[in-house]
Amino acid sequence: MKNHAFPTKKLVEAGALSALSIVLSLTPLGYIPWFSGATLSVLAVPAIIGALVGGPAVGTFVSAVFGLTSMVQAATNPARGPIDMFFVNPLISVLPRLFIGITAWLVFRAFRGKHTPAAAALAGITGALANSVLTLGALFLAGAIPLAVAATVLVSNGILEAAAGGILSSAVVSAWKGIASRSGRSKISEEEEKAENSGESR
Amino acid sequence: MKNMEFFRNVSIGRYIGGDSAIYRLKPGTKYLWLLALSIPAIASPRLPGLVLPLVCALAAGAASGLKPRFLLRCVVPALPFFALAALLQFLFSFPNDSSPLLFKIGPISGTVREGLAILMAVFRTIDLMVIIGLFTSVTSESEITHGIEDAFAPVSRNGGWVHDFALVVGLSFRFIPIIAGELEAIVLAQSSRGASFGTAKGRPLAKVRAYLPLFVPVTVRALERAELLAEAMDARCYTGNGRTRYVVYEGTKHEGLAKGLAFAFCGIALAIAFML
Repeated sequence: MKNHAFPTKKLVEAGALSALSIVLSLTPLGYIPWFSGATLSVLAVPAIIGALVGGPAVGTFVSAVFGLTSMVQAATNPARGPIDMFFVNPLISVLPRLFIGITAWLVFRAFRGKHTPAAAALAGITGALANSVLTLGALFLAGAIPLAVAATVLVSNGILEAAAGGILSSAVVSAWKGIASRSGRSKISEEEEKAENSGESR
Repeated sequence: MKNMEFFRNVSIGRYIGGDSAIYRLKPGTKYLWLLALSIPAIASPRLPGLVLPLVCALAAGAASGLKPRFLLRCVVPALPFFALAALLQFLFSFPNDSSPLLFKIGPISGTVREGLAILMAVFRTIDLMVIIGLFTSVTSESEITHGIEDAFAPVSRNGGWVHDFALVVGLSFRFIPIIAGELEAIVLAQSSRGASFGTAKGRPLAKVRAYLPLFVPVTVRALERAELLAEAMDARCYTGNGRTRYVVYEGTKHEGLAKGLAFAFCGIALAIAFML
């Protein structure tokens, strides 16, 4: 019966992570508030996780969905910023995003399964950077923003988004692989406790 | 977190019930029209090509009982941002801009080229807002989720990847309310344990780490559900081809006509867009 190209598990993973991407983009949780209005976008992370957990095809699919959500959001709710109008163009909103999954996967694969948390962190950083650089590059090439603005945004937002991508990807992949390979105490509770403790002690 | 109600914001569109011929079309045909209207709106390089999809969408809306004013009303909240975007566009000039100057107020100078760029971007956005508004008003939520597979049906064959592609897209639509519910549950649970997500002070990295108790569980739960669902699907052989469905859409007598018109419209609109 299995005469199709992909194992069912990867298909469903792609579907679930795309749904996560869509939901995050629709709620204010997709954006970490930074200071008075500026936000860091973590929407690239489900795409990165798709690549790390499911492979390049899954990662690219979720990346495409991410691009499409930003396009549809720009088309239906351009109330977040004037630059949004340029995201209506799929060459700006979808095309650069397609590389998020692939770049993250390539970096992760270079570690050949060892040092998973660090590998995932680097892959997350790479994916988020790919998102920032390529999207800003596309905006610049389309004449939407001058090079100085693009570079400024890249340095101010892009680096922090890359760090956020690294932290989040590493945490999720570590928790996920911990669950899959260990029966018994799940790793999620450890991650949650660590994060909560660090949050409370601030 | 000020607003914890996510379910309200995650519904797919504002469906308005009705019974005209357009409402009774099969969802696959409605998707076809969505594409036929959107592709010229996205692709046309010049202004005249953007007007035709808008007019057609408004006409289709009128034909199904939606006044044009209703569809255009969603554009109104965006007008101030169009103005802001126009201002930004005028502030930063294109390199090597040699088109005639429209006006000059202090440091802000506007050329014809910038004016056209703004008009086109504004029109494109209005186009897409009206088209998507029309689609969601005419297509109920179950039609949206089931219809995505119908839309791909003509193109997929046995064992082809397009078949799986349609399955994945349908799956993600179905997962959206589930994940939204998970997200809400986790936010409430973690907040009741004292975790704060948005209001923490400190270096940005500390704020990112404050998001971990929210992001990690939601993502891992999503992956867990995916694994369970994949096992369930495999156990029931609900993979590959020959998947049956509980809900069947009959459509109207004019399905073929509607589909043909969609292709014709798209072709004509694209031709006009690129030739005028």
